[in-house]
Amino acid sequence: MSAENIQSNPRFLIRNKHYWLLAPGIVWMTLFLVVPLGMMVYVSFWTQTTFAISNDLTLKSWQTFFASETYFGALIRTIRIWLTVLFLTILIGYPAALFIGQMVRNKTTQTVLLVACVIPFWTSFLIRVLAWRPMLGKEGAINILLQKLGLIDAPIEVLLFTELAVIIGMVQIYVVFMVGPIAFMLARIDQSLIEAARDLGASGWTIFRKIILPLSLPGVVVGAIFVSVMVLGEFATSSALSGRKVNLLGNIIVTQVGSLKWAFAAVIGVVLTAVMALVVTILLRIVDLRKEL
Amino acid sequence: MNQPFLKITLGVYVGLFLVYLYGPFLVMGIISFQQGPEGGPQFPIIEWSTFWYQHVLGFAPPTRVAPLPIGEALTRSLTLAFATMVVSTVLGTMTAQAFRTNFKGSGFVFYLVVLGMMVPGVLLGLGMSLVANQLGIDRTWWGTAFVLHVVYTFPFAFLVMLAIFNRFDGRVEEASLALGVTPARTFRKITFPIIFPGVLSAMLFAFTLSYDEFPRTLFTGGPDVTMPIAIYGTFSVEIHPNLFAFGVLTTLFSFALLTVYGLLMTASVRRSQARNSGMQEDIE
Repeated sequence: MSAENIQSNPRFLIRNKHYWLLAPGIVWMTLFLVVPLGMMVYVSFWTQTTFAISNDLTLKSWQTFFASETYFGALIRTIRIWLTVLFLTILIGYPAALFIGQMVRNKTTQTVLLVACVIPFWTSFLIRVLAWRPMLGKEGAINILLQKLGLIDAPIEVLLFTELAVIIGMVQIYVVFMVGPIAFMLARIDQSLIEAARDLGASGWTIFRKIILPLSLPGVVVGAIFVSVMVLGEFATSSALSGRKVNLLGNIIVTQVGSLKWAFAAVIGVVLTAVMALVVTILLRIVDLRKEL
Repeated sequence: MNQPFLKITLGVYVGLFLVYLYGPFLVMGIISFQQGPEGGPQFPIIEWSTFWYQHVLGFAPPTRVAPLPIGEALTRSLTLAFATMVVSTVLGTMTAQAFRTNFKGSGFVFYLVVLGMMVPGVLLGLGMSLVANQLGIDRTWWGTAFVLHVVYTFPFAFLVMLAIFNRFDGRVEEASLALGVTPARTFRKITFPIIFPGVLSAMLFAFTLSYDEFPRTLFTGGPDVTMPIAIYGTFSVEIHPNLFAFGVLTTLFSFALLTVYGLLMTASVRRSQARNSGMQEDIE
């Protein structure tokens, strides 16, 4: 195609127009997303002294991180809690999504059920977290209920200010992000597929394993990405429900920033980014997010 | 999958699931009516009262419990959410509009935008404060925090609009342009009414996410707190039922917002139906 041809081609103008439409978004994301993350990586190599920080490059903060029991332990704990919460959100969320997406065939009922799942989400996140305290405490709603029912004699004390409390709270807050995408994918399954399988003599279990599960997998992956990203970056739930006993990487970042240890906070930030990038990359290998829209 | 037994079991399960979701929500509602100012945020209810609601709204006599900074913090939060909503929806619509044609590097741009909702707030907050420190910029809720709110909500608006444009029949626009209608008028009269439900959803997403946003604001918001930061401030000290009363009130506010959204949505659907049935209507 000659240069003249390109000039006179209206598609050329259209293409140009698209770059103008894209520019503000790209510039915004570069300045306020890429640059801050780059800055974080850079600062993680700065020299941190008790009262000051200077931009002489060093690996000292990194060595401290991997040498310290507290910090490396927090990394392990973060990964452990993330895996537990992820597993539980799938385990608890999938059957609920199966009912909403597959069993309920009436669109209105489907919407009503999904909206019912989302309603608690409309209360401020922090207040929802705090509301678990009177639920789980020694004299909390759960203990009172169990004692009234005669199921237990003495109140269960491990419910609040433990890792268990953090997990119960996180699963309740994030499970909706698992139910939504799965139910969405399940509702899209063509019913004639399932009928065909049944006519050919497939059992309910076979239908589930061969048709429903594979077709809902993109929903599980999208849900897993949501839950992973949110749980890995958590710090409010863990500090509110564990009485600051369970420290995740996020909690350590907050503490370090509070005491102006920027270089150290940056190291933890980079570690957290690396973990998250790895998780999301693996999950995106399973499905192509763009194709699922 | 129509076995009645399985259906009933799963139905019961969903019931229990909803109880789990609503449990804390319910407890929050009950405890917000705790007696005040001595009653704490726990059972049993000493005496039912609306003391904490009066406390939140500033009608209660002063006590040792500090009142929530409703006036200023709430105004700030709402202003911030509104500004974020406008900027994110505009950016999201523009970017999604560009994605209607294939272009080189679309995959890169897609992931660059989606990255904004993927990166945890605590990391972005940290990164932005480091940049602000380096450049010597003051951290403020309307500056450093605002740009991060947009980074967070713009991807949501973008994805909503992308989904809308994927189901959009471009020939309608082409027909309008071919008939000599100017691009601006085509957008106003053809494109915008069709994408309006999407725009509304994008706005709703952006507003609510920004209004409740907290890890990003924690690091970059500066000395003037927004509502979530004010609530977070109570974490370290004792919590009181006034927080729960506030929670109930904000939930009611959210419902009001959702109702407005629902009404606008219904009106928009009805209008487009009316338009489809009466095709003779002139394009005024």
